[in-house]
Amino acid sequence: MTRWPVAITGLGCICAAGGTVPECLDSLYAGRRAPAPPERFVSSHPTPFPVFEVRDFREPPELLRTSALAVQAAREALADAGFSAAELRGLRVGVCVGTTVGSALNDEGFCRAHRAGEEPNLFPMERILNSNPAAVIARAFDCTGPCQTVVNACASGTDAVGLAASWIRGGICDVAIAGGADELGRITYHGFISLMITDDSPCKPFDRDRKGLNLGEGAGMLVLESEQVRARRGARARSFVMGYGSACDAYHLTAPHPEGAGLRQAVAEALACCAVAPDQVCFVNAHGTGTPDNDRVESRVLAELFPGVPYHSTKGYTGHTLGAAGGIEAVFTVACLERGLVPGSAGFANADPELAGEPLRGNLEVTGGLALSQSLAFGGSNSVLLFGKGDAA
Amino acid sequence: MTRLVVKGIGVAGAFGTGVESFQSALAEGRATVGSVEVATGEGVVTVPAYRADTAALEEFVPKRALRRVDNYSKLALLGSYLALKDAGMLGADLGRLGLVIASGYGATATTYAFLDSLISGGDTCASPTHFANSVHNAAAANVAITLGIRGPSLTVSQFDMSVPSALVSARQWLAEGRVDAVLFGAVDEVSELVAYLQHRRYGPRHVAAMAPFDAGTESSIIGEGAAFLVLTRDDGGTAYCGIDSVETGNVFGGGLSLPDDALMLLGADGRKELGRRYLDTVAAGATAACYTPIYGSMPAAAAFDLAAAALALKNGQAFASPAGPGPFAPDSAGVSRICSLRLAGPSEYATVLMSKL
Amino acid sequence: MDTKEKLKQILVKDLNLEEVTPEEISNSAPLFGEGLGLDSLDAVELVVIVQKHFGVEIKDMEEGRKAFQSVDSLAAYIEARTAA
Repeated sequence: MTRWPVAITGLGCICAAGGTVPECLDSLYAGRRAPAPPERFVSSHPTPFPVFEVRDFREPPELLRTSALAVQAAREALADAGFSAAELRGLRVGVCVGTTVGSALNDEGFCRAHRAGEEPNLFPMERILNSNPAAVIARAFDCTGPCQTVVNACASGTDAVGLAASWIRGGICDVAIAGGADELGRITYHGFISLMITDDSPCKPFDRDRKGLNLGEGAGMLVLESEQVRARRGARARSFVMGYGSACDAYHLTAPHPEGAGLRQAVAEALACCAVAPDQVCFVNAHGTGTPDNDRVESRVLAELFPGVPYHSTKGYTGHTLGAAGGIEAVFTVACLERGLVPGSAGFANADPELAGEPLRGNLEVTGGLALSQSLAFGGSNSVLLFGKGDAA
Repeated sequence: MTRLVVKGIGVAGAFGTGVESFQSALAEGRATVGSVEVATGEGVVTVPAYRADTAALEEFVPKRALRRVDNYSKLALLGSYLALKDAGMLGADLGRLGLVIASGYGATATTYAFLDSLISGGDTCASPTHFANSVHNAAAANVAITLGIRGPSLTVSQFDMSVPSALVSARQWLAEGRVDAVLFGAVDEVSELVAYLQHRRYGPRHVAAMAPFDAGTESSIIGEGAAFLVLTRDDGGTAYCGIDSVETGNVFGGGLSLPDDALMLLGADGRKELGRRYLDTVAAGATAACYTPIYGSMPAAAAFDLAAAALALKNGQAFASPAGPGPFAPDSAGVSRICSLRLAGPSEYATVLMSKL
Repeated sequence: MDTKEKLKQILVKDLNLEEVTPEEISNSAPLFGEGLGLDSLDAVELVVIVQKHFGVEIKDMEEGRKAFQSVDSLAAYIEARTAA
């Protein structure tokens, strides 16, 4: 199989770092971040854990916030790709979206009322059933191709982009809208606190004093398209998906494999798609959540597989956006590769003597043509995307 | 389009455990409807439901290893072991095996248990174990951990379209040679929440049996279970049947063209709003069957349709529809092609075309 | 019932320790690894269990690791923080 490169012609992103891709990049390059205790919901937990909420965004009442964020990012990505609504309708457009909360029948108010012996209004449940993120995007833009919501926990967004690229290669659709979306709420907030992997101060990926992650929310979407459609439109590729790999640790429900077995296999598969050698990669967007376990395993694998290749974590700007993270970081990786400038890792200050290396501290100019983005997830899912430089602007 | 074949089937549902139980339930038209009790504003209500039993899992996995595994994951584990065993792959090298699981609603009982921990104990007493098990991919994680599957893993949740949507990606993995086999399965469970929603939507109902061809009557009965298939590329070897194509889309995209030389296997499951669409989509007088009364109404039922179709194709003979042929021609003649049709919402459709080897 | 007995009953029930009875748990045996075979996910569950049943907060895992050596050590930890 040598038909790998799949063109990326549009990017869209909304997260705490910004409401559009250019806004996000400005925050990243300026090292700006503002985690704070949640404003959109209350908690009686005595410790206020900082989070990265999307401010100034209100979802319509009939949709889950997750799906509204997904549509917002998809709209930006389609506009960036230069697709009009009419143009899209003539094509077979697939939608592949990763999420963790976007398809779960999980509503605290409903459950509380039911448990209290009331007969709660079914609206919250119906809203969930009408808000499957991929289906909502398909409805919003009249997409008639395959439609898939990927629920691979924190690797979901990365998998969604890889799967969509594979659909394009297989001729299953002409265009695909792919990425990830997740909202932040009381359920994930308290779930992660209960796992004792959240930091009560702004997160510090790969740092000696890291204590855990901060949660975030948002959506990141990419538009992928076949070479036939792209040639017909004369659309510029901002980047190419050059490879995708995924593998299971088969080790533990919440802890990563100590040697990073699945991550290594996923990296190997992604590089093999276009027969790329590790030293051709000019930077890696690491998962880098800031949890002691994740960063230990990841830095070990990076040091062994990519010695000397700079890596960074953008979780310090966005928080861990769970199912959205793979989509958002794919957008960042593509945009930074295109710009030739990789932002430093916000929150990193002191190297950990127990880790093999350290992430980028400040912004770094890069000239290479390939970059990698990787995700590790609950359940031992590991997913990796390889991106190549697009057409000259 | 790469042709796939079904090498193994693992099913667990109200009909029992394993292919033989499933086959005999299909042959006899036997529906085993149980029930679930659920608290409502008007006291405890008994909701009819197809219930599955996971006790057979102990044949494969020591009880100790299952102490943190919930019903949703147990169903998936049971389906996985049965399918691999049926394919003769238990104990084989699973290095080139991918795992794809589809679930409409995920681990709804554990999701509710997590909320219970938050509600009863307060915000500092949320249960991390329930939280970790409430994610949709917990079933895939538990299957991968227990069976040692280290290939790619995917969980898809697309409500009623979960199964056909996931099948699109599973087929693509095989087509591009990422893996040599896919353990493909679907799982949904009957939980208090699912039962409560059913009760609230359709009120106290006294239907004793699903009547999927009676579009004027609401007769859905919720079900649970796991249906797993071992899929490979067609290697000319023995298998249940071939899978020739998988199409998903919506009617706004233009044509839903159905083959005229295949038995239509309808996913109609007693839900009134969908029943009408099935009758309108398939021409009256076409040859059609419907087996949902054997396993119940749930998103994962789409994979039971595939398993039933695979058995029918292997036998060369369709099973009679348990609810009678309805407005369709009975399926008495030998069968060599089956088109599984699933509809969802006002416009979505999926077809899976399967054929005799 | 003393703290150790109560703790053992709660462990068996809340951690769903299949095929183990409270009586079979030795007060001095390690809870993690070789002993009862608990793991990192049980450790965080144990933090919630101790909070829920005894009202004792374990702030971080460093503290938890010391308390979670055995039933003996955990009971002592709880008793030291609930003594009037």
